[in-house]
Amino acid sequence: MSAFHLQIVSMDGLIYDGNVQKIMLRTIDGDVAILNRHTNYCTAVAMGTAHVLTEDGKDRSAACIGGMLSMMDNECRLIPTTWEWSDEIDVERAESAKKRAEETLAKSGLDKVAVARAQAKLYRALVRIGTAKQ
Amino acid sequence: MAANMKAVKLRIKSVQSTMQITKAMQLVAASKLRKAKEKADRSKPYLNICKDTLADIATGNTDFQSPYTKASENDKWLYVVIAGDRGLAGGYNANLFKFMESEFHGRDVTVLPLGKKSVEYCKQKHIPIFSESYAEVAKVNISDCFEIARLLCEAYKSKEFGHIFLCYTNFISMLTQSPEASSMLPLSDFSEAEGRENHEKPKHLILYEPDSETVFNSIVPEYLAGLLYSSINVSVASELAARRTAMEAATDNAEEMIETLSLYYNRARQAGITQEITEIVAGAEEP
Repeated sequence: MSAFHLQIVSMDGLIYDGNVQKIMLRTIDGDVAILNRHTNYCTAVAMGTAHVLTEDGKDRSAACIGGMLSMMDNECRLIPTTWEWSDEIDVERAESAKKRAEETLAKSGLDKVAVARAQAKLYRALVRIGTAKQ
Repeated sequence: MAANMKAVKLRIKSVQSTMQITKAMQLVAASKLRKAKEKADRSKPYLNICKDTLADIATGNTDFQSPYTKASENDKWLYVVIAGDRGLAGGYNANLFKFMESEFHGRDVTVLPLGKKSVEYCKQKHIPIFSESYAEVAKVNISDCFEIARLLCEAYKSKEFGHIFLCYTNFISMLTQSPEASSMLPLSDFSEAEGRENHEKPKHLILYEPDSETVFNSIVPEYLAGLLYSSINVSVASELAARRTAMEAATDNAEEMIETLSLYYNRARQAGITQEITEIVAGAEEP
């Protein structure tokens, strides 16, 4: 497969800069995979596991949460809110976050905002755990 | 004379210990500053890409509309004020508050303070506070920024506020930092008028999924969070630079004081010796 240029930039700086064959991730509209010569494209990214197939055929996965993806003139730019390669994920922290979120959700009498916040936390923890276990 | 000498000696000692502290603070601020500066620079590309994409969407679609770009008639203002947690940073906090005061003039203002000093200031001046949960600016991390951005977006969409501004201290150089205010919402840069002006620019045909407005509206909170995070980083770098300069000046002053005091001390000592010799000589001359 032919490769294209991918840049991953988060708020902590440049995470990845190099040629890849494929990038697959979850957007707000469902899962997408971007291959070489994709049409100019732009979307917002949701929470999920992202897969990057590098030029030399290595498959790397990462927990990708929020942000946006744009493909312009065969230059792919991904700017995630948080991006953690599967080998960098702190599983213990994610597990404890999951437990805390579940405990919060089990309580009664929460207002809408608190429920939404706890749900988002739980979902983020699940994505991290799921990515690390793959 | 002897009692005076003792007092001077004590004074020299106390100035010396103060100098030690200011010197240490200067060194700490200088080493932290380098890291803070790097952090501030690292978050810049994220912001630029976000802004470019938003501008692309706004200018590329003629019938573009978003609740975030429309100028609102509501004249309630929310200011997000980023100040320091601690004092002893020269004019860092004072300059920001002075600038704020001129900004607030004649407006119905609510403040979301970041940094203990800004919380204190608002309480003292009886300015209404939006939320106090982010009082310590040193502890605010990326996810807090996203939470704040979401709060701001909701408050704006529910018409609680008509304008949301950000007050921070921009890092111009190691020696100059100046307080600045920038507009967060509405995103007036991307409103329709601007789009018309840029009509000459060749338009890119981009596929937005599910559609451009949804993408725009979901990127806005991310952009604001990025803006907040990088402004916080810049402010922290400014605070450290201001502290370093202030402490450098304090150390210099202390050195000068010690010099003057030791000159005085030596003079007093010499005068004492001279007096003693005169007394002895006078005593020896008598028959």
